[in-house]
This record gives sequence, structure tokens and C-alpha cells, in this order.
Amino acid sequence: MSGYNRRTFLAGALATGIAGAVARTAQAGADAGAPPVPPFHGPHQAGILNPARRRTVVAAFDIVADGKAELTELFRTLTDRARSLTTGGVPPEPGITAPPADSGILGPNVPAGALTVTLGLGASLFDDRYGLASRKPAGLVQMPVFPNDDLDPAWCHGDLSLQLEADDDDTVLHAFRDLARHTRGAMQVRWRMNGFVSPPRPSGTPRNFMGFKDGISNPDTNDAAEMDRLVWVRDERPETAWTTGGSYVAFRLIRMLVEFWDRVGISEQEQMFGRTRDTGAPLDGAHEQDVPRYELDPAGKAIPITSHIRLANPRKPETDDSRILRRSFNYDRGVDDVGNLDVGLLFTSYQQDLHRQFEAVQMRLVDEPLVDYISPFGGGYFFVVPGVPDTSEFYLQSILI
Amino acid sequence: MLALFVAIYQELIVDIRRPGAVIAASLFLAAGCSTAGADEHASPSTSAPANAQASANPTVQIGASHCGEGWTNPQAGPQIIMVTNTGDVSSGVDLVDVPGGAVHAELEGLAPGVTRPLRVSLTQGTYAIRCDVDERDLIVGPSVTVVGNAPGGPATVPISDNDLFAPAQAYTEYVTGGLKTLRAKTEALTKAVDRGDLTAARRAWLPAHLAYESLGSAYGTFGDFDGEINGRPAGLPGGVHDKNFTGLHRVEYGLWHDESAKTLRPIADRLYQDVKALCDDFPDERLDPADLPLRAHEILENTLQFELSGRSDQGSGTTLATAAANLQGTRETLAVLRPLLQGRYPGLKQVDAHLDRVETLLAAQKHGDTWTPVDQLDHRVRKTINGAVGELLEELAPVAEILFPRRTQ
Repeated sequence: MSGYNRRTFLAGALATGIAGAVARTAQAGADAGAPPVPPFHGPHQAGILNPARRRTVVAAFDIVADGKAELTELFRTLTDRARSLTTGGVPPEPGITAPPADSGILGPNVPAGALTVTLGLGASLFDDRYGLASRKPAGLVQMPVFPNDDLDPAWCHGDLSLQLEADDDDTVLHAFRDLARHTRGAMQVRWRMNGFVSPPRPSGTPRNFMGFKDGISNPDTNDAAEMDRLVWVRDERPETAWTTGGSYVAFRLIRMLVEFWDRVGISEQEQMFGRTRDTGAPLDGAHEQDVPRYELDPAGKAIPITSHIRLANPRKPETDDSRILRRSFNYDRGVDDVGNLDVGLLFTSYQQDLHRQFEAVQMRLVDEPLVDYISPFGGGYFFVVPGVPDTSEFYLQSILI
Repeated sequence: MLALFVAIYQELIVDIRRPGAVIAASLFLAAGCSTAGADEHASPSTSAPANAQASANPTVQIGASHCGEGWTNPQAGPQIIMVTNTGDVSSGVDLVDVPGGAVHAELEGLAPGVTRPLRVSLTQGTYAIRCDVDERDLIVGPSVTVVGNAPGGPATVPISDNDLFAPAQAYTEYVTGGLKTLRAKTEALTKAVDRGDLTAARRAWLPAHLAYESLGSAYGTFGDFDGEINGRPAGLPGGVHDKNFTGLHRVEYGLWHDESAKTLRPIADRLYQDVKALCDDFPDERLDPADLPLRAHEILENTLQFELSGRSDQGSGTTLATAAANLQGTRETLAVLRPLLQGRYPGLKQVDAHLDRVETLLAAQKHGDTWTPVDQLDHRVRKTINGAVGELLEELAPVAEILFPRRTQ
């Protein structure tokens, strides 16, 4: 059994070199006006600092590889497939001895479609199965249960995470299908959620399903020093130095009780967020990007002390290093069993330190008024590994070989 | 504490809303006009898009010194009035009619220097801007005569905190009575567990749970007791086995998962202690009058989320019984608010009809002492219950808006 599985995902590894020959730039920036995605190779993975694309699939996997050698092959395969898929090109011709190498859903010449693949590792991978315990990233733990959570174990955690982003549904699904096909014997899907970014309505930051602009206040991804302070991991201890250039991601699957929300008056809604719904401006401002002036409003007369934006980011010197880089998507997965829409937020945040940043923000938000209208039910913490520097290397090479 | 609270209430009640004040009886009929008006907004007479038109909108000052200044040449129809707080403290603003005082539009908490749009549809008549300046008496700006031929939007005669004191007091009495029942029923449950008669305990569990679930609007007042007495395992790292999972649902879990009397005794005893502590504590707590209008729909929002979905079930399969108890709590909430709603909410009759409908639908699932578990409902029956509760919720939601306490003097 194990031998068969291994052969399956090795076959994928062999198939990659061909497609990899096509020039990367040929099909980048398929979405006119959107900036091209960063290249696959580099010190950091793509899909973190660049603006979120329109579509995503986030999935967590349980790794079932039989021993460290198979685990190594898995990461080799993942690297090769990610490199190939983000580059595009004509899939290899299998001849008469095998079914087609590619699903064909993107046509005979696979476009890169501004695809990014971002790979993360869960704390559970660093147990005793593969001898990696001593290599566990210093800040990696399993996502805890927060007081307002209602977690479903089937939608939590995982050994490995993949976030695929592109501009079209078929592009991300094609990539997901390809990656799953080539890695079946070594990892199995634990949970998967599709997400999308709404277009600006009418401008500026996209809106969530509560009708509010979401993600207005984010660290400046063009400021390298700020990214070094808030996003990228730097570690000089020999066992974990390999994590330098990586980051930590918190995925949170947050159901929004939109029917209930729609039955709440606009003034109460705005007080809960601290922003106006129409413009996204803070309640003491006129424009989306206006910076709230809490120091002029110590009692919270304009922006309530308990409002989401004020709790999440109090904008004080002592809370500055708890800021997170949000990269959230909306999700829509049908209806629940009382006939309400099952929609919400595929919250995604990147940070240098989960405890110092995401958890600090999350704990400030405990019991905020908004909690009655949302229900976090899944997600997980993952260490997003450093980028693959060039074609000669693969993910995790330094700790697997 | 309650006595003190009543004394304050009597002192403040002197100058509440005049009983004979003009009532905006056509509240929701008028809402239809408002929609039509929104289309008119784009008609040739006011053809520019809303953004480009911003300069044409009057800018009206609010604040202690110049409240309402700047509202010139007002015309009937849908319009945007840009409101600027020119004072040095934050201020709310209402657009009211004169002399009735019905509120047509409002904004809360404008910081000094902030300008925000006040969207409103006005028919011809006399209106004024009223400024609710932080820590000042209400200031009414100059009366303004609106001319032209266009329908107006909805308005409501505001109620104040004072108006909600009597309903809150009545609801407190209801809860006080309900807590006595809860205590007695919980005692019966605990005694059955104590003597090791788990069959009797399973029979005694539901009456105790329903006694709690029918208290409705008071949960916010119970503080930590609510989680201790009726919490779900959600949010607890250990789930149903977490030591902080306590109360009625914990006892339910044990009774319907073959736990022994020995295991359940300390849990049931703790429940009874918590219920006793709540009963002792409640007279010292103040039920926030402003909670009541919100609870008109919030109780059943939770019913839909946790009971009709079956998510709160820990084995007894009685979430439809819980739903019926929640409906009772909602009815009681509406009963105490009814004097304020009559004349303000034309949808009240429909609410009453749909409360009856939901009650009938739920009662049909009661068979002696047992209830149909929600996941065993006939498909169409389940959809009908979901639909009826959903519709009722849509009709209850305006109560929170109409009875939002506003300053009236």
C-alpha cells in the first residue's frame, strides 16, 4: 500500500520539469489592473505581502507519509507542483500508458492565472512521527479555544496548510486538484474552505458580509522595516534558525449570523464596529483611511470603548507591536439546518508572533458586542515556511536532509 | 438596591412623553413611500449623483452654540443634510417635527469637527434640528418650514429611559416569580439525583430547564450565573468534559449519557447552589430597562440559532420545549412593552398573530411529557417552524428601533 502511494506522488515529481520551462511572466497579471503576483522563488513565500487575489482555497491536511523519507518526498513533490502550477505551461504527455497528467479544466496550455501557493506547517507535524520535534518553530502551538469560540474539531488544526490564491475559481480548484492528486499517499485533506474577495463597493477596502469594509487598517506591506518587525520570523538558535524568513498564519473560520445582523439597527451596527457602514470612516472621521483619534475621545462618546476597531487596535505605543497583517476572504457554503445562510469570514492574519500579536488582539476582543453575531467554528495556526530560493531547492530542505 | 432604583424612577418620571402627543401611526406604510422617494432622488430635478450633489446639500451645525443653523430653503422629498459638529464636545442630533417631536432621522455621537450625512424624507411641515450635546440639556434649533409637494418618510415619537422603567419593573416581577419556580424545580431535580433515582431525575430535568428558559429578557442581568446555570460547552477547551461545563446542560449530558448518580451528585448540587445564589442575588440586580426592546427579538434569535438547530441539545432532545419556553419569555417582554408599542408599531397585530402561530406549531410537537426531537421532525414541519420563527423575528426587529430610548427633554 505504502509503495503504491509513494509511487503515485513521485510520479508527480517527475512530471514537473517540463511545465517548469515556460517563462513565468507570460501569463502573470491575467487580471488587468491587478499587480502581478510575486515570483515563486524568493526568501519569502508569495501570497503573504501581495494584495489578496479574488479567489482562494485554504485547506489543512493530515500527513500520513510513512516515515521521514516519504515525508521528504512529499515536500519535494509539493515544491515541484507549486513551482509548476504557479508558472503554467503545457502538461507533460503521458502517452498510452496512463491517464492524462492534468485535469484539463484550464485547457491544454495551463495558464499561471496569478496563482500563489502558500504552505504552512501545524504544531502536530513536530510530534515524534518524523523526528522533527527539536526543529519545531519556537512560536508554533495548536490554536487554543477562545472564550467566544464554538469550534468543530472537524474544521480545526492540521499538520500542513495550503492557501491557494488566484483570480478565478477554476484556477484555484485546478491547483488544489493537482496538488491533492500528486500527494494522496502522503497527506489527506482535513478541511477545506473556499473564499473570495468582493470587489470594492463602491471603492476602497472590500466589504464583508456584514456590509462593513473589512481590513482597512493594515500594516504597510511596502515598508520592509515594518514587515521585519511585524510579519517575518527571525531566529538565530541553531535548531530553529531554518524558520528565518517564515511567518505565522492564523486561519479562523468565522460564521456570520447575517440574518440576525440584518435585524439590528444601523446605529447599533456602526457603534459595534466603530465605523460608518457607508464609507468605512471611523465614527470620528469622514474617510475610510482617517485615523481614529482616541486620545480626543477618552470616554468613547464618538467611538465606543467596546467597539471592534478600538479594542482590536487601540493605537497606543504599547499595543503597536501587536498589530497583525490581515488578509481575509469571505466564504459562502450554502445554508444551515434552520435555513439561514452559512456565510462568513475566512479570517487570515500573518504575524511574527502568534502570542504577542494575534492572541493579544483576540483576547482584547473577548466578549465585544459583536460576538453575538459571529461564531468562530474552525481554523488553525500554521508556521508559513520560508520561501524556496531557487530551482535547486525544495520546501524544508534544510531540516529534512 | 431595587427600592432605590424605583425611587429614582419616580423622581424622573415627572416629565415624560405627553400621553396625547402626536403619534406617527403610519410608520411602516410611510416606509414604502420612502423607498419610492429614494428613486425620486435620481430624477431630473435633482439629477446629479449623490456624491457630486454633496456640495448642494445644506450643511447644518450642531453643538451647544449654533444648533440647527445653516438649514436654509428646505424642500420636501428625500434629501441629505450634512451635519457638522461645530462644538467642542461630542453631540447627537435628531431631526424632529414641530411641535409633535416625532423623530425623522438621527445620528449618535458626532465628535467635534465631524461631518456626517443625515438622510431623510420630509413632507411639507415644520421641523427642527435637535442637538443632544454631551452633558447638556437638549437644545432645539430654529423651526424650519419645509415646502413642496412630496411624501415624507417614517418617523417615531421617541420614548425615553423613563418610559421603560415601568416595563422593566413589571418584567422584574415576572422574573422574580419565575426564579421561585426555577428554585423549586431545581430542588426536585437535585433531590432525585441525590437519592440515586435517575429516572425521576430525567423527568425532573425538563421542568427545571424550562423554568430557566422562560425568563427571557433577564439573562443579561444574571451576569456569570447565566453561564454557570445554563451554559453550553462551546468555548471551553475540554468541551463537555471541561470542569467549567456546569449547570442544567451538564446535568442533561450526564442524565442522557449514562453517567452514574455518584458522578452527577456534585454537579446537581452545584447547580442547586448556583440557582439559590441567583435567587438571592437577583433582588440586588438592576434589569437595564434599555435591554427590554432589544430582547423582543434577541430571545428568539438565540432560539433559532441554538434550539431549532438542535445545537444546545445534550441528549434530552427537548430543544423544541426550550423554544416554547423562549416564546413565553418573548410574550412576557412584549406584554410589558405593549403600552409603548401601541400606536407606535402598526405591525403589532401581525406580531401577535405570528406568536400564536409559532406557539401552535411548537405545541403540536409535545406529546404528554415528551417532545419530538428537532432532528426527527417531519421535513415540511421543520421548515414550517423555521419559517414561522424567521418571519416573526423580522417583525420583532423594529421593536428595538422604535423603543430605543432617546432623550426627550
